Amino acid sequence: MEQTKATGEALGTQEREELLRGYASGTISWRELRQRGFADYVEVLAGLGEIGLRPPMAPMEGPSRSARERGRALLRRLLREAAKS
Amino acid sequence: MSGPFHLIVTDTSPLITLALAEALDVLLRPSIPVSIPDAVYIEATRIRTAAGASRIVEWMNDHLDRVRIVPTEVGVDQQRRIEEGRTIRALGEQAALEVLERFMSSNPQAEALLLFEDSDIARRRAIVDERVSLISTGDFLRELEAARLIQSADYILEQAARSGRNVERQHQVTSDGDTRSRFRRQLQRTDDDPRTQ
Repeated sequence: MEQTKATGEALGTQEREELLRGYASGTISWRELRQRGFADYVEVLAGLGEIGLRPPMAPMEGPSRSARERGRALLRRLLREAAKS
Repeated sequence: MSGPFHLIVTDTSPLITLALAEALDVLLRPSIPVSIPDAVYIEATRIRTAAGASRIVEWMNDHLDRVRIVPTEVGVDQQRRIEEGRTIRALGEQAALEVLERFMSSNPQAEALLLFEDSDIARRRAIVDERVSLISTGDFLRELEAARLIQSADYILEQAARSGRNVERQHQVTSDGDTRSRFRRQLQRTDDDPRTQ
């Protein structure tokens, strides 16, 4: 999707903060933030830092749940093996 | 362990988050090769605030034996778009899919772990191929925390946001400074210009 606004800074302060709060709480995705005018992820992190929030951690739900559970199990296994060697 | 494993980074955000938190090394903890599609790498390192970008470049150069940039057709298209001044957003993920396809078809035993951004992973369609697993930045950090390889996943994410804020402030100060010095030079020129006297 083509950019509709130059950067996240082009958004109003209130709108920008609402979007960032939505992102931090998991109701808005990074993809949507991009579509709404945030130019890069540093800008998102900076905005979160300004209002004292941090990036979200996705709850273990949704259509990709089993692939994520598999991913976590695989990572756990890899970490165990790396620790042994 | 069966088959060769690869960690494929599908988006700029995990890289930037870990770079700003000075925690890129966590990606090396599973001791498997890390593949970064060219389009993801370019998007992450050409951003206006250079702090994260330079850390990513430095980190890559320090670990060329374990981290590699994978060239893709999407990356070629990205270069063309940059030259034409068109948007390059979201090409990283397309490039990651290209890398994944090539990797999986190169070896029937291959297994891939795709690293996604948290807010996007929750809305992903289910991956059917059993050889492909997904992991978000948050999941990744939680597993490292559980394995006691990092003190706290929360701390790393907070550190990234705090660092992002500082980078942005620094950027603003620099921009203001540039504006001020340009203004001073302009005034100087005006003072020196006999036409204005």
